[in-house]
Amino acid sequence: MRRVSLLRATGVFIGAAALVAGAADARISTSPLATLANGNAHLLSAGPLAFGPDGILFVGDSIGGQVVAIDTHDRQAARAARVDVQDINAKIAAMVGIAPDQLVINDVKVNPVSKNVYLSVSRGRGPDAMPLIVRVERGSGQLSVLPLDNVAHASVQLSDAPAAAPGADPPNGRPSSRMMTITDMVYMNGNLMVAGLSNEEWSSALRSIPFPFQRTAAEGTTIQIWHSSHGRYETQAPIRTFVPYDIDGRNYVLAAYTCTPLVKIPFSELHPGAQVHGAEIADLGAGNQPLDMVPYRQNGHSYILINNTSRGVMKLQADDLGAYKPITAPTITNVAGVPYQTISDLKDVRHLAALDSSDVLILTGKSSGPPWLANPVVGPVNLQTIPLP
Amino acid sequence: MRSSQIVSAAAIILVSGVLAAAASGASAPAAVGIRFTGRSFAVSGWTPPASAPRGGWPTIFAVYASPAGASGPAGATAGAAGLPPLLGSYAIEHGTLVFQPRFPPAAGLQYDVVFAPPGAPVVRRTFYGPPRDVTPSTRVLHIYPSAAVLPSNTLRLYIYFSAPMSRGEAAAYVHVLDGHGRALQGVFLPGEELWDPRFEQLTLTFDPGRIKRGLTSNERMGPPIAPGARYTLLIDSAWQDARGAPLAEAARKEYRGGQALRAPPDPRQWQVAAPAAGAGTPLTIDFPTPMNYPLLQRMLNVVGAHGTVAGSVSVGRDETRWRFTPQRPWRAGRYRIIVDRGLEDVAGNHIDELFDIDEFHRVTEHIVTRTISLPFTVH
Repeated sequence: MRRVSLLRATGVFIGAAALVAGAADARISTSPLATLANGNAHLLSAGPLAFGPDGILFVGDSIGGQVVAIDTHDRQAARAARVDVQDINAKIAAMVGIAPDQLVINDVKVNPVSKNVYLSVSRGRGPDAMPLIVRVERGSGQLSVLPLDNVAHASVQLSDAPAAAPGADPPNGRPSSRMMTITDMVYMNGNLMVAGLSNEEWSSALRSIPFPFQRTAAEGTTIQIWHSSHGRYETQAPIRTFVPYDIDGRNYVLAAYTCTPLVKIPFSELHPGAQVHGAEIADLGAGNQPLDMVPYRQNGHSYILINNTSRGVMKLQADDLGAYKPITAPTITNVAGVPYQTISDLKDVRHLAALDSSDVLILTGKSSGPPWLANPVVGPVNLQTIPLP
Repeated sequence: MRSSQIVSAAAIILVSGVLAAAASGASAPAAVGIRFTGRSFAVSGWTPPASAPRGGWPTIFAVYASPAGASGPAGATAGAAGLPPLLGSYAIEHGTLVFQPRFPPAAGLQYDVVFAPPGAPVVRRTFYGPPRDVTPSTRVLHIYPSAAVLPSNTLRLYIYFSAPMSRGEAAAYVHVLDGHGRALQGVFLPGEELWDPRFEQLTLTFDPGRIKRGLTSNERMGPPIAPGARYTLLIDSAWQDARGAPLAEAARKEYRGGQALRAPPDPRQWQVAAPAAGAGTPLTIDFPTPMNYPLLQRMLNVVGAHGTVAGSVSVGRDETRWRFTPQRPWRAGRYRIIVDRGLEDVAGNHIDELFDIDEFHRVTEHIVTRTISLPFTVH
């Protein structure tokens, strides 16, 4: 294990232009299951996953410009069990009848109640690839493909998603080629938070969508980051991945930006029109993007396990995150940072998923090329549980 | 669940026939065959029993899919390699056991079918799905920005293809070479590939950490485009389109580093040439600096007395000229060009707002309108 030096902390300034209100808007009087309707889920793609209440699985559909909530009927509480499915991409490919190199596993999440594992998968690599949700039974590792043509579900359109629907006729007569690629989703406090990247403009799109869904999700916020140590700030740094995190009894969102370090954002301040102050807590290195974050406690200390595109798996020491105060003026310079170490024996990790207090789930696969963009897999892709480092 | 219901229903209807067959000594193994209709697999010459065997139909009749030519003798590899059979449903149709795969056949696959009736020899057959069309036809149509000199803080490249591409493999097929032909690393932002919904337009983002002034990466590595340096963007012809066919040819874009764009686009500096009434002459805007090509397609709109004017956009002169041709001839009157403030130049600078701003007070400026209006008159 290699120790990495402390990093400077700078500040972030977040101008929340249109973030939907948080917990206050979530008025759930009945089970959310009652708001789902049977029928075809009409998924055009299956990307990031997040679990909500009552075994409801949220599926990010970038091509469809929507998020779909699906009833998995998987509500039986169970303890986590070891999972070890070698060559899982070849196994799924064989089940659904496609060459393994044409099958892409997009995300991995664990049902927090049943501890069964769910994968979002593309059967094909083109725009018409069939979206699949695959369940991996805890313990046995048995694979099954969820039916999506007749399932209790609800969907919400992302308001500034593209008019991808065929036949859409914009008033200016020009079809849009814009697509917001959903990069991460988290359900917290009655809201589904969705981060994404646009293929055309450099903008942030962090949304907080009350669940049960309304018809259309509100537009995303604009996020600005200010680097105090240089007397500068930057605009609209898109959030790549994020995780809810309690610091000193308060709810925060720990967010990793595409180009800048890890920041903490108080959840309570994320509401429409608010100016939100956050703080940068670590810089995870250039030419790199964090992919997944798993918080955990071990021997009385708090940690966050972070998987990166280019810099392996890192274990971030998270005991003192409360000490990093938001920076609100250009004269304040905070030169401290959060220490982390790189877990050198964890290689080729493509996804991390929280399992329980002692183990974490990893999906591994070797890359054929340089670690930028979405590098292709060569050889087997394996899904397994390992002890938290 | 559904498949078992179908089988049960069919079995009830067929029960008398099955019983008769069983009583007379059942099927003759020599006549057993397997058919592939292109959509389903059927066992011929064998009369199925009244109910599925213990463990279900898959224990005696299974189909294994694998890439065509990848396996050896029929049925020898897929199951033996520990790979599961195809998902699907079983039914008995007109006294024949039929397996219907849950997903439609994919191009380029072979199907190794194993039928192992109790007490009879195992029957193996191999069938092939539709061939994979790997005739190269897809090509790179254009790479934006078009100019041969790119500002050192250029934020994004857009590659336009003639047909849908495959996702998830760009890293292996897109290269940036320096002036000596050496491949450079760390030029683009890692992570997701950003496509349009048809996968015909790929967005590559230069590592913003190397572009933003003051960041460690920028100070240590310099910008991904150094002023004066020469580069080649190389797109490998082996890159597969959505059909799995390679590109018809490789594509290259040679560019040289220019000075950074450090002034945000200012619509007051744009030159608007109003068209004449009655004709289909285009409305033209000339920009002093190159703008973001895909955003020019949708972030400038023309509004007249009757609302948004429908028409087509063409972008030229290395993205410094925007031309709008209406679907119907211009009518005399007053119009406005509605400029979305999200419109960017090639360096990600928005209207009136730099990509990396170095004056703190700008943070507190709240832009209340999302658009700017540029009036013009058609005479």
